[in-house]
Amino acid sequence: MHKLLLLGTVFLVTNSLFSQGFQVNFQGQKQQGMGGAGNALPLDAASVFFNPGSVAFLKENSVNIAFTPTFANTLFEDANTTSIGRTNSPMGTPFSAYAVYRKNENSKFFYGLGIYTPFGSTIQYEDGWTGRFALTKLQLKSIFFQPTISYKLNDKIGFGAGFVYSTGNVNLQKDIPVQDANGTYGHAELNGKASGFGFNVGLFVQATEKLNLGVSYRSQVNMAVAEGTATFTVPSSLATNFPNGTFSSALPLPQVATLGLAYKLNEKWAFALDVNYVGWKAYDTLSFDYAQNTTSLVDTKSARNYKNTFAFRFGTNYSISTNWDARIGLAYGITPVQSGYVTPETPDANRVNYTAGLGYKMGEHFQLDASIFFTHLKRTDTNLETNLSGTFTTNVIAPGLAIIYKF
Amino acid sequence: MKFNRTKLTLFSVAFVMLSACKPKENVKEYSAGDLNLSNFVAIGGTTTSGFMDDALYLEGQENSLGAILAQQFELVGGGTFHQPWVSTSSVGVNSDNLARLILDYKTDCLNVTSLSPVRKAINGDATIFSESLYDASKPFGNYGIPGFYMAYAFSPAYSSQNNFFKRMASSTSATVLGDALNTTPSFFSLYVGLDEVMKYAKSGGKNESLLTASQFHALYTPILDQVTSASTQGIVSTLPDVTEMPYFTTIPYDGLNLDEANAASLNAIYNPIGLSFVVGKNAFVIEDPSAGTFGVRQMVPGEKILLSVPLDSVKCNKMGSVFPFRDEFILTTDEVNAIKSNTALYNDYIIAKAAEKNLAVVRTDQFYQSLTSGILYNGISLNTKFVSGGAYSLDGVNLNPRGNALLANEFIKAINAKYKSNIPTVDATLFRGIIFP
Repeated sequence: MHKLLLLGTVFLVTNSLFSQGFQVNFQGQKQQGMGGAGNALPLDAASVFFNPGSVAFLKENSVNIAFTPTFANTLFEDANTTSIGRTNSPMGTPFSAYAVYRKNENSKFFYGLGIYTPFGSTIQYEDGWTGRFALTKLQLKSIFFQPTISYKLNDKIGFGAGFVYSTGNVNLQKDIPVQDANGTYGHAELNGKASGFGFNVGLFVQATEKLNLGVSYRSQVNMAVAEGTATFTVPSSLATNFPNGTFSSALPLPQVATLGLAYKLNEKWAFALDVNYVGWKAYDTLSFDYAQNTTSLVDTKSARNYKNTFAFRFGTNYSISTNWDARIGLAYGITPVQSGYVTPETPDANRVNYTAGLGYKMGEHFQLDASIFFTHLKRTDTNLETNLSGTFTTNVIAPGLAIIYKF
Repeated sequence: MKFNRTKLTLFSVAFVMLSACKPKENVKEYSAGDLNLSNFVAIGGTTTSGFMDDALYLEGQENSLGAILAQQFELVGGGTFHQPWVSTSSVGVNSDNLARLILDYKTDCLNVTSLSPVRKAINGDATIFSESLYDASKPFGNYGIPGFYMAYAFSPAYSSQNNFFKRMASSTSATVLGDALNTTPSFFSLYVGLDEVMKYAKSGGKNESLLTASQFHALYTPILDQVTSASTQGIVSTLPDVTEMPYFTTIPYDGLNLDEANAASLNAIYNPIGLSFVVGKNAFVIEDPSAGTFGVRQMVPGEKILLSVPLDSVKCNKMGSVFPFRDEFILTTDEVNAIKSNTALYNDYIIAKAAEKNLAVVRTDQFYQSLTSGILYNGISLNTKFVSGGAYSLDGVNLNPRGNALLANEFIKAINAKYKSNIPTVDATLFRGIIFP
C-alpha cells in the first residue's frame, strides 16, 4: 500500500533528456527494448501511441500499464573557470497506460485509450551553481489523453485516429542577480497550468506476410499557460521592482511524422525501423508576458531557434521460446538545439540510445515486459542569451516495466 | 543480521543505476607555463588596494584585484598573498576619515525617501591609521595604496603623507617601491597613473591639471625600470577612460526639468544674456569663465556633472539653474576631451613600454569600454549604470567585488597569452555585486 501511494505521487513527474529536446520516448516497454521503434509492428496496446492505424491488427483486447523510473545526471563544466555544476534532479517517472477493445474477433473496429507522457522534464541544479541566473530548476509535466478508433479496411490495410487532450504544469525557477545583506540572491519562480489539444493518426499496411509499413502523424500541441503565478523573493527594498503576479506563456510540443518498417524474418526474428521527423522548429521563442511590468521586470522573449530534426530507431525482437522474448535496439537522435542556444534546461546533444528488453508471458492473460535504456550526451556551447560557456555531460539510465492483461 | 535477498538485490540495482549515471569530471590541467608565481606583488594605487565603496575595508581587501589574482595563482604554484588587513568589524575609512558607503534609505529635501548610498557610520575608522602592520616574516603582496601617485614612488617621507602606506611601511623612511621590491617578487602587476587622472576628474578639473604625456613618461619610466630590475616577469595595466564611470555619467547634462512657471522665471533671468528655457528637459546652467561676459552658459551634450554635486541643492535650491553649477562639479567638453586624449596617450606609452620590457599588458581600458556597452556574464548583465549596473561599487569609480573579479579575469587572460600559462579565470558569480537592504 505504501509503495502504491509513493508511485501515485511521483507518477506525474516525468523526465526529459531521453530524446531530442524535452521529448520523452517511453511509451511502450516492448518498443523501448527495441530502440523505440514500433510504428509498423503492432505488438501490443502501446500501438495506440505508435501508430493508431496498426491497432486494428492487434490480436487481443488488452490493458497495458508501464512505468519507467528514470535516472538522469547532468554535469556542467565551465569552459573558463574551475566551476562545475551538477544536477540533483529527482527520479523521472514517465508512465503509460493503454486499453484496446473490440467487440469480437470479426469486428473491424478497435477502440483504444492511451494515457501517456511524451514530453516532460525535471531538471534541478545544485544550489549556487554558476548558471543559477539562467536556471535553477525546470519542471515540466504533461499528460496526454488519447481516445482512439482504429479501422481495419481489409486484411492488409488499417487506419486509425486519436484525439489528444493534453494537460500539464510548468514550473521554472532561477536566481535573480540582486543580493540582500546576507548575500542571498533573489529568486524567481514561475508556475502555471497548461493545456492543449491535438491528434494522432496512422496508416498501417501489411504489404506481404513478412513486411509491414506504417505512417503516423502526431500533431503539434500548443501548451498554453494563460494565468501562471510569478513569485519573486528579493531584498525588501526591491519588492516593488519585482511584484508578485501573474504571467502568460506557451510551449509548443512539436509535431512528429513517422515512417515505420517491420520485417518478420521467421518465427523467431522480427525487425523494426522507425524514422521520426520532429517539428521542433515550432519552438523558436520562449516568452513570458507578465501582467505587471516594472523597469526591472520586463516581458522576456528568449530565442530558442530549435530546428526540425530526425531520429532513427532500430530494434529487433527474438522469440526465445513460447513464453520468452528478448529485444535489443539502437536509436540515433539529431538534436534540435543549435549552437548558441544550449540552455541548462535542455542540455541537448546528438545522441545514441542503447536499449534492451525482455518479455515473459505468464499464462494466457498476463504478460510482463521489461526494458532498459541508456544514453550519454555531451555538448559544449556558449549560450548567446546568457554567455554561459562550458560543457554539459548527461547520462541517463532508465529501466522500465510493463504489465499487460489480455482478455 | 538477517539479509533479505530481494532487498539486497534491489538496493544493488538501484546503486548501480545511480552511480553509472553520474558523469565524471574531466581533469583539467592548469599550468604556470613560463611563469614563476611563487611571490606575486601587486603594485598600484586605489584600484589595486581593494578600496571600494569610497573606503578601505576588509571585504574590499578580500576582493582586491591582487587577492583575486593570487587566489588563481595558487592553483599553479602561487604563494600566500598577505595584505595590510583592516579588521572585520571596521566600518572602513578613506582619506577624508569617512566610513564606507552602503545602500540604504535616504529622505531628500522634497521628503522623498529612496535608496541611496549612505555612510555606514558617521565617522570612518581612523584607528586603522595608528596600526603598524609590517611583518618581515609575512611580506605584503598587495602594494596597492589608496591615493598613491607615481611622483611619490621613491619618496622616503611618504608614510607621513599617506596614512594607508604608513600602516604598512617597514619604517618611517621607507619608500613604496623600496618596500614592495624588498619582497623579491617573482611576478608583479603594475597598475599606476589612475589616481592622478582621478584627482583631476573628481575636482572637475578645477585647481588641478592632468599629467601631460611627457610628464607621464617621466614618472612611469623609472618606476617600471625599478620594478623590472627586481622581477623580469610581470603585467602592466592600461588606464580606463574615467569619464565613462558612473560618478560622471549618472546625472544627465539635460536633467533640468521645468514646469511652465519655472521656465518663465528662468527665461526672465537668462534671456537677457542669451539663454532660454523650455517646459520639460533643459540643459543645466554652469559657470564657465570662458563663456561670454557673464561666464555662465548651459551645458552641452557630452559634458559631465559629478556625483559630488549636492543633489538637495539641485532639487530644492535651484542649483544648476538660478545658481549655476560651480566648476568643481562639472567636466566641460574641453576637460572631458583632455582626459580622454591624455589617457589614450598614457596607454600608448604603457603598451610600448610593456613590449620593450617583454611584459604582459592588460587592456583595462578596453575592459571598461566593454562595461560601458554592457557585459553579459553567465546570465548577469553588467554595465556602468550607477548601483543597478552591478560592477561598480557605490562610490561610482571603484569596482565592486564582482567588477574586480571580471577585471582580474582580463589580467589572467593577458598573462596566459603572454606567458603560455593556463591559469583558470574566476567564476564571477561567486563574487558579490551590490548589496540591497
